Amino acid sequence: MTNETLKVARETWPPLRRRRRPGKRRLGIGSILLLIVLMYLVIGPIVMLVLSSAEDTSGGVVISPPFPWTINNVVTVMADPRTYAILGSTLVFSIACLVIAFVISLTLAWLVERTDLPLPGFVYVITVAPAGMPGVISAIAWGLLMNPTNGVLNLVLRHFGGGTEGPLNAYTLPGMIFVQSLALVPLTFLLVTASLRNMNPNLEDAARTSGASSWTVLRRVSVPLLTPVLIGALIYQFVTVVEGVDIPLVLGLPGHVTVFSTQVYLTTHPAFGLPNYGVSSMYGILLLILAAAPLLLYYRVIRKAQDYATVGGKSFRPRKQRLGRWRWFAFALIMLYVLVSFVLPLLMLIYASLQPYLGLFSFESFSRFTLAGWTSTLGSSLFWSSLGNTIAVGLGASAAVMLLSVGLSWIVVRAKSRISWLTDALAFIPHAIPGVVIALAVLLIYLVIPVPVFGTIWIIVIAMATQYLSLGTRLATGGISQIQIGLEEAARTSGARGWRVWGRVLLPLLRPVLINGFLLVFLNSIKNLTLPLVLQSSDNVVLSTLIWTSWSDGKVAETAVLSVILTAVTVVASILLRRFSGAQEEL
Amino acid sequence: MANGIRIDRLRHSYGRNGHEVTAVDDVSIDIAENEFYTLLGPSGCGKTTTLRCIAGLEQPDSGTIELGGTVVVSDRVSVPTYRRDIGMVFQDYAVWPHMSVFDNVAFPLQVGKRMPRSEIADRVEQALALVNMSQYIDRRATQLSGGQQQRLSLARALVRQPKVLLLDEPLSNLDAKLREQMRGELRLIQQSIGITTVFVTHDQLEALSLSTRIAVMKDGKVVQEGTPHDIYLHPQNEFVADFIGATTFVSGVAVATTKESLSVETPVGAFACAPDETITLGQDVIIAIRPEAITVSESGETGANTIQGQVELSLFGGEAVDYRVRAGDVLFRARGDARQQYAAGARVTLSVRAGDCVVLPASAVGGPLVEASAR
Repeated sequence: MTNETLKVARETWPPLRRRRRPGKRRLGIGSILLLIVLMYLVIGPIVMLVLSSAEDTSGGVVISPPFPWTINNVVTVMADPRTYAILGSTLVFSIACLVIAFVISLTLAWLVERTDLPLPGFVYVITVAPAGMPGVISAIAWGLLMNPTNGVLNLVLRHFGGGTEGPLNAYTLPGMIFVQSLALVPLTFLLVTASLRNMNPNLEDAARTSGASSWTVLRRVSVPLLTPVLIGALIYQFVTVVEGVDIPLVLGLPGHVTVFSTQVYLTTHPAFGLPNYGVSSMYGILLLILAAAPLLLYYRVIRKAQDYATVGGKSFRPRKQRLGRWRWFAFALIMLYVLVSFVLPLLMLIYASLQPYLGLFSFESFSRFTLAGWTSTLGSSLFWSSLGNTIAVGLGASAAVMLLSVGLSWIVVRAKSRISWLTDALAFIPHAIPGVVIALAVLLIYLVIPVPVFGTIWIIVIAMATQYLSLGTRLATGGISQIQIGLEEAARTSGARGWRVWGRVLLPLLRPVLINGFLLVFLNSIKNLTLPLVLQSSDNVVLSTLIWTSWSDGKVAETAVLSVILTAVTVVASILLRRFSGAQEEL
Repeated sequence: MANGIRIDRLRHSYGRNGHEVTAVDDVSIDIAENEFYTLLGPSGCGKTTTLRCIAGLEQPDSGTIELGGTVVVSDRVSVPTYRRDIGMVFQDYAVWPHMSVFDNVAFPLQVGKRMPRSEIADRVEQALALVNMSQYIDRRATQLSGGQQQRLSLARALVRQPKVLLLDEPLSNLDAKLREQMRGELRLIQQSIGITTVFVTHDQLEALSLSTRIAVMKDGKVVQEGTPHDIYLHPQNEFVADFIGATTFVSGVAVATTKESLSVETPVGAFACAPDETITLGQDVIIAIRPEAITVSESGETGANTIQGQVELSLFGGEAVDYRVRAGDVLFRARGDARQQYAAGARVTLSVRAGDCVVLPASAVGGPLVEASAR
């Protein structure tokens, strides 16, 4: 025995680690800290929401005894017939959107992946590109296009059909459904197309060689294999529809169509008087239940989806259906769709940004082109400060999310205990909480807790971190589980201690996942209107809230300028992002 | 034993909430310096868990492990993996894909005590030369073939000149030809540098050809420990006899004993077996016969230790033919000369030398006899 090894043995002698129970691995300090932060971010909002819905909040939310318990909030909300009207319109709105979006997306996905459509790569990119357009901006663009009095589309249609109003009106439930459906297509397409592409053709060929007809193959093999993905995508997009305030706010508010998300926002920002947070919370809880119930189902589907081993490491090329003479017809139809859904709104915004005021659209109006809107917007200090805030929020949120996610995901993947299950479940919860509810709860927390973040960009960062934590952990969990544990163990048996293993092996291997996740969260953060809107003050204006404010103030040209700028950034960024990341990861 | 390994009453179980599986059950092993010690057994026997406990990748429930005289695991001590003086080669090589060959091998030196760059470079070169990989030093790890990754992994395990080398089924992912070649090299390298080695495998051929000693494990316990010679020729129980080669077992009763042989009466006839003083007359015994000890010939031959049977299965394997021959209730496994293949259904005579019939007491048998002999 050498002196050196004796020393090593002595150093560890009065032991830090006593005997442990079988199968349990001790968690380090770092892991415990991470779990505390996770609990705070996830459990905090829910507790706050429940507390304030059950309290008399006229004097603010109380978080320590004596609690001013009351059932007034519950009664107010549940006895109000408007609540049920809102529930009705929410359901009609979301279900109609899902049906339309999925029909379009599945058709597109099938055409791109399983037929000999011309230029499939190009079609893929232009179908996905609109994903970068923030919802609030597409709502504004369609509001301009389909305004019943001076909407450009209506003017063109009336030119042929006559009449003085309409025929299209974006400020109605059908109008909202139209705009929201189009907004859902890119991501839905991405989700479906990935599984269509990765489907192992051998599975279908095996059915064919077993004597099944094409129809039977579709019915007995292809569709069942896709079912988990389809259900997962449906439920995910359902949450997207019910949680967003952007389209319902821009189009529904003037048209007096209210859904749950806008109701939560409106009760926190009433036109007159002080907000009654108790009632807001009650609405928030209802929305939470509406979103969470199907998500629990979704979670089970996702878990089960692992049984459906459709994705293999090898790159498959499924057999392609020949379209024959419909080939170019289908292509033309897709081009038309892209023209309507993406190019038209974009052109509308560019046009509006160059007009001094929005008059009736005619050929004369092209002579009125002016850069006044651009110069005044780019010259305003509010624009630059909100641009700065947007970038700060984006960077802060994505850094926080990825930092937390990597640590938490390591616990999920590597800790062989109940802790890993708990962490997984906790990190998933924010996914089930609609954004507007997270925003409300975070607002309530920092109204009460004396941490000076209220009214700053940091409260937005905290809310964003909570919202996108499930996205981040999903990405990081996928990344870490692809790293064979042997690579970590080899580092440890080579003499590397914990932080060395992270620094030299884990983080370098995770780099693509980290960059991808960082960009994805960044992109989502700067597109997000819901959270900054609910948490907004004069000091934390970001681009999305600035767009909304100037739109509701009637400053069309400025709104359009801002929208063009933000869209340019997000669309380009999202195309770049897609270049080196898979589609499934957006889930 | 300056650089030996001592494992004392090691116990480790997995699982929780009542679904506990005891992976290692009271294992005690002494490994001398420079030994090539093999843990052999089927999957799930606890051999890998034992190795991982030595490496510190698993925390055993109880027991003591000493590496080179230093207690690394006991009731009161648990030295973390990175402080144990070991090198380990993993089944899937665990070569870091984001590093070059040089960086992979240099890693253990870079994370350890400070060492001048030039010395690191020298040591890495030496380690790579040892495994014949010098020409690949600047390659990316992902550009290597499986066999090269395995060599790289070995160089990485040896580069900091540890006291103990741990090998976790290092050859099992290689194709047959490469495996044979690596087997030879592994033994040469181990002997040339002289390092205490613990080798985990389920391949009896690897175990027999490489080891100085073998511990055959089953259900978390060591069922026999000995030299390859001992394990192969003198299995102490049916499990070992069966695991080390495709052995045929015939149950019977010891009826007579002489200096030269032990007579055993069995349902398929009388056998003259290798004498064994521990067997008493009238005792229930089992005869273990290896396939290569059986000669297959034309039907009709008679004499001592011959059995008449019918070929059920006849598999041509190039250098030999594998037979399953039924005689009564017993299915004999035999290897016959490839120049004369008997087809399925043919009647043949099996003959075996008395010295190749190993007699085991029936009490040493693990499972029910009928099942075992009908296999």
